[in-house]
Parts: sequence; structure tokens; C-alpha cells
Amino acid sequence: MRSLSIAWKDFRHVYRNIPALAMMLAAPLVLSLALGAAFGSGSSFSIKPVDTAIVNLDQGAATGGSGAAIGGQNAGATIEQILASPDVKDLVVLKKFATEGEARAAVDNGDASVAVIIPAGLTEAVSSPSGKSASITIYRDPSLTISPGIVSSIVQSAILSLNGARAAAAGAVAIVTQSGNHDPGVLTDAATKTAQAFGQGFQGQPPISIDSRAPSISASERAAPNVASQVLLGMMVFFMFFGASQPARSIIDEQRNATLARLFTTPTSRRLILGGKYVAVFMVVLIQSIILLVVGRLVFGAHWGFFGPVAVLTICGALVAASLALLMISLAKTPAQAGAFSSAVFVFLGLVGGNFVGSVNFTGPFAIVRRITPNGWLLEGWSKALYGGSWGSIGLPVLVVLASSAVFFAVATVAFGRRFA
Amino acid sequence: MSAIEVRGLYKQFDPPKGAVAVDHVSFEIEEGEIFSLLGPNGAGKTTTISILSCLLRPTSGDASVGGSSVLSDADNVKKQIGVVPQDIALYGDLSARENLFFWGRMYGMSGAELTNRVDQVIELIGLTDRQNDRVDKYSGGMKRRVNIGAALLHKPRILYLDEPTVGIDPQSRRSILDGIKDFNAAGMTILYTTHYMEEAQELSDRIAIMDHGKLIAVGSQPELVRIVGEQTRIDLSVDRQATALAEEWRQIPGVSAVSELEDRNLRLLTDDANSLMPRLFESARAMEARITEIALAEPNLEAVFLHLTGRALRD
Ligand SMILES: Nc1ncnc2c1ncn2[C@@H]1O[C@H](COP(=O)(O)OP(=O)(O)OP(=O)(O)O)[C@@H](O)[C@H]1O
Ligand SMILES: [Mg+2]
Repeated sequence: MRSLSIAWKDFRHVYRNIPALAMMLAAPLVLSLALGAAFGSGSSFSIKPVDTAIVNLDQGAATGGSGAAIGGQNAGATIEQILASPDVKDLVVLKKFATEGEARAAVDNGDASVAVIIPAGLTEAVSSPSGKSASITIYRDPSLTISPGIVSSIVQSAILSLNGARAAAAGAVAIVTQSGNHDPGVLTDAATKTAQAFGQGFQGQPPISIDSRAPSISASERAAPNVASQVLLGMMVFFMFFGASQPARSIIDEQRNATLARLFTTPTSRRLILGGKYVAVFMVVLIQSIILLVVGRLVFGAHWGFFGPVAVLTICGALVAASLALLMISLAKTPAQAGAFSSAVFVFLGLVGGNFVGSVNFTGPFAIVRRITPNGWLLEGWSKALYGGSWGSIGLPVLVVLASSAVFFAVATVAFGRRFA
Repeated sequence: MSAIEVRGLYKQFDPPKGAVAVDHVSFEIEEGEIFSLLGPNGAGKTTTISILSCLLRPTSGDASVGGSSVLSDADNVKKQIGVVPQDIALYGDLSARENLFFWGRMYGMSGAELTNRVDQVIELIGLTDRQNDRVDKYSGGMKRRVNIGAALLHKPRILYLDEPTVGIDPQSRRSILDGIKDFNAAGMTILYTTHYMEEAQELSDRIAIMDHGKLIAVGSQPELVRIVGEQTRIDLSVDRQATALAEEWRQIPGVSAVSELEDRNLRLLTDDANSLMPRLFESARAMEARITEIALAEPNLEAVFLHLTGRALRD
């Protein structure tokens, strides 16, 4: 009860402090917008284009196929054209290779970040209504995440439209055939026109799939969530910690305004006082995160994952951010110290935890190193959620994050108890 | 039983090299008494109050407040005391009313009891009209009154006031001092600190004079003044020749001190005022000066402090 009175007072104090609020809510959005622009379009930020090796083994339409080549084209060439088009020229630099082996070698020896291998039967698979399938292989450098992501999303959108077109064409051909017309010219015309008219939106088992191959990449990491969620997530987790330090500073403010000393002369114990502060910081961070999650979804189109895991991760994030912020404030002796110290720690954690790289998904040594930070764990758990992971996949990160917030709070209580001693 | 009993209190900040703020201080405050700690800046008044509020731990020594030790039974001590801190300790972004509610809750109050008490205290500190304004929009005197009010909500048996009248207008000061007398009349034991001699004199049953962390004298006002001896103070004004007169009067046997104040005011200490006064008028006439005002007074605490430390209380 007394803790809640303290929490409520602090909470109101924060929401009367407009600059601090702006910092907590606007800064992550603005930064995400900038980063999103960098990774999303490449127009306003200079981002290095991805060296992409391409092998097109597709021979085009087999003669006499019922659908022929859609729009009179070869599917492999279509994908190649998309990757070479002026729309993506800031993102992709295409290098053509004759064989799959050469293309893979280019990735292996670092000449390219990613290889796109278009199989021989692609056009045939696209044109055949009845069921041949083909698989485009994305072979990527395992140490990179963003660049292969860019290339594979471009290829994926191409495939999506091909799949949609294929389904539509098949449907159209079937309808025309049933009506008794077997003129190949009419059939082709119907198929082509339908396919063109049909958008993407094809649901069901796509016969042409993207096959991402890289050493040591697990299945859950194969599907790529959109860039906005990755960029915004890193920012959001960073600003959760940063945002927590703002209301946590109320301890310093209260010390300066003599109200902390006065609180200590009342029969309310220090544990309750710190508990009240903790509730306030937690609530502020939680609300900040929810706003960012909603804005990210509505404005940036970010996909956060399934509701349950996302809710748990958000709460865990707010818990650990609040306890770490209180710990840092409790350790500091002066306001200046608290400010400088906690900013330094948060930026360090952000760097080590991987909040600023525009992606939350890591492999290699960095995936281990980030585990020394609570935000690294949180991002690790969240990256699983982004890729559609459920309870099981976030279990360990959640446990670690909860345990670390308990430890932080315990140490903060001890440090807080020493004040004025 | 004494309300407060202080035994060998000693506080050194950041030992071993830090300042010794309270140096082996012992005193007792009786139930229902107004007791003042009088001393200049840095004397250790606030440090003493902080220890008695369980905010600071003494380096050594102990104190019991309402029968409970500040070291081993802080919870019981805190329930019995109200503390008015020297610095205004309120939330500026909350109204006076909200502040009082908050502090009342910190003393474990709630519900109708709290609401009634807040209404009473607001009335008592005379802020009914402005109770819903933010405290940071208040004048210094109004803040001081809220600062006191916040310590009264739970009706403490013992009230500490640490320089509650610093920096306010005479009217607010008057109402604060009268208020303290009322609380005391209602049975509250009061520990008051100040560096204004007049306040200590007006309020206190007993006074402890503190300097450099040490208690240099404790007692009622007459007891303290007796330390200076059986002397009378003569305050007078002349219309001219103040400096020359002061010089001459210093030579008169039986005059122990003459100090020249501003505006041709003079102050003398003597052990025989009756025989001295005719001589003062005589020598003034000889110098063609006129004594325009004269008053006799008991020596005050200022003189005691001067006597004991060799320094003025306010410098
Ligand atoms: N937190 C602290 N750390 C170190 N020294 C301190 C601290 N608080 C007080 N002191 C020192 O202890 C001495 C006594 O200070 P205290 O505040 O008790 O004096 P005071 O009598 O209340 O003075 P004032 O009339 O100015 O309020 C001073 O020398 C002061 O510098
Ligand atoms: Mg003081």
C-alpha cells in the first residue's frame, strides 16, 4: 500500500515531465525511422550494396507446355531481372556465374555475400499447373545477417508473385478447358492474362520454395522477419533500459530535495520505499514499450511475434530494465555520477547486447558474447519470437532475464540501505 | 520518564578523516518540555536531529526516544516522532493537500482518518484557500507551513523542528512560533533547533548551547545567564560623540564591557547599574552629548555564548 503510494507519486511525476517523456518515446521511433530508412530503401542512408552471385540454370519453357512461359518470359530470367533492376541497384550488385560451384566458391572465398542459385527446371515448374516443383537456393555467408536478408527478401517477393501467377494460370487453364475450348493459343492467352491480373496472395503450399543454405543455420532462422521489427526491436530494448533510468533518477532527485531523508524518518521501511520506486519504473517502462510496440506495428508494419511470448518478453524486459536502473542509481553517490555512469553502462550493454546492428539474429561468437548482457538475452529470446517461436524457444532467455532482475534488485536494496548511513 | 535521553552521542562523517559533527553530546528532554538546541552554522544541530530521527547512525553513543533506542528499535522511534526537516522536504509538483495525503500514508494512515486529519492540518497551517495549488507555486512562508504540517498528521508525541523559521517573513514566523506553543500546550514534547537567540529564549523551557559539535551549556535561560555572572546589561543611545563616550566609559571601574553598535547605540555590561547610571549622564553632559534612550536588561544568551566561546553567536 505504501509502496503503491510512492509508485503512484513517481509515476505522475514522470508523466508531468514532458522532455523526459519525449526522450523515452520519440527517440526510439526517430532512431528506428533513420535505421529503417537505411535498411529499408537505401535511399537516404548509404548502405553498402550486397555482392550477390547469381547462377541461372533455368532454360526457360519446355516446348509444348500448356502454360508456356508466363508473359512470354523465362522465370529464372525474371528473377535475375528483378535483382538487376534499377529499383534495387543501391542494394544489390549482381555477379553472374555459369555454374553453381563457382557461385558457392565466390561466397566461400568472400567475393560475394550471398549466392542465388536458380535451378534448371524453374520455368517449367512455374508453367506446369500440375505439380513439378523447383527450389531456388540462397547460399549465404553465415557471418552476415542483413545482406543475405535483403537479397532473400527480394527473391522471395519474386517467387511469391510467380507462385501466385502460376496458381492463377492453372485455374484459368482449367476453366477454359472445361468449357470445351482446347485451342492452345486461347489457353495460353487465358493463362497469361489471368496470371498477370492475379496479384500475389497465393495461399497454400507454394510449389516453388526458397531454400536458404548456410553452414550452421537452424530451421527457425530460415524465415526472415521484416526489417522494421528487427531495427525497432533493438532500439526498443535499448530504450527500455534508457527509459528506466529516467524515472529511477527520482531517487537522486528526492535525495536532493530532501524528501528521501524525510521518507527515511517515517515508519515506512527502505525496502518498501525502493519497492515503490521499482513499481513506478516498471510501469513507466512497460507503458513505453507497449506504445512502441503498437506504433511499430501500425506505423512501421513491424511483426513482433505471437502475442503470448511477446507479452511475456515485454514484461520481462520492463522488469530487468527497472531493476538495473535502480541498481545503478543506488550505487551512484551524486546525480552527475548517476547520469554519466548509467548512460555509459547502458550504451555499453547496447553495443555488446547487439541493440544497434539493425538485426536481432546472430550466429557465431557474437551470439555467445551478447549473453553476458541482460538485453542480449532479451533480444535472443525476442529474435526467436520474431521468427514465430513460441513458449519453448523463449524459455531460457526469460528465465535468465528474470533471474538477473532479481539479482539486480537484491543488490540495489543493499546499496540503497547504505544511503545516509 | 524522559522523552529523549542522549548518551555520549558521537558522529564522525567518513571516518577516520571526516568532520566530527557531534562530539560526545549528552542531554535529556523531559516529557512535555520545549527544548532548544542553539548554535551557529555547522554546530551539529542537524546532525544531532538526524541521529535522533534514525536517519544517521551515530559513530558511537546511543539515544532513546520515547523509551526506544535509535540504534536497536528504530521502528518504534519513528512511529513516535514527527520530523520537520531544515530543508523544505515536499513534492513541488503536488499540491499541499496531495503532499499531506502522501506523507500521512507514509505514517501508515489511510481512509477517513487520513482525510479528516489532512483537513484539520490544512486548517491549522492556514492554507485552506490554497490547498490545491502546487507547492512549488507557494511563497517561502507557505512552504514552511506545509513542511511543518506534514510532520503533524500522525499526531506525534514528540516533534523535532530543525530551524523551521529560516528565511521567512515576521508574520509567518510569528504564527509558527505561536503554533509550536500550542502544540506544546496540548502535550507535545518539542525539540527545536535554531541559531536565533530570541526564538530559543521565547520558546524554550530549557536550552542547550552547541558549538563545534559540543554541548557547551545546558539549562533554563536564567540558569544559563548565571554563567555570565550577576551582571546587568545597559543599552543606550546618544545623539553625538558615541565613540568618545565609549572610550571614556571603558575606563570606569565596574564596567566590564562596552561595545559600540551602529547608529550611536552603545551596550555596556556592569555588575552595579545603580551607581553607574548617574556617572554616565554626567560624562555625557560634559561632552555636550545627550542620552536619548536608556534601557536595562538581563544579559541574554548572546552574552552567554560570547562568554563561553569568545565569539558572537551570529558572525
Ligand atoms: N553528510 C555530511 N558529510 C560530511 N560532513 C557533514 C555532513 N553533514 C554535515 N556535515 C558537517 O558536520 C558539521 C555539522 O553540520 P550540521 O548540519 O549538523 O550543522 P548545523 O548545526 O545543523 O548547521 P546549520 O545551522 O548550518 O544548519 C558541519 O561541519 C558539516 O560540514
Ligand atoms: Mg542544520
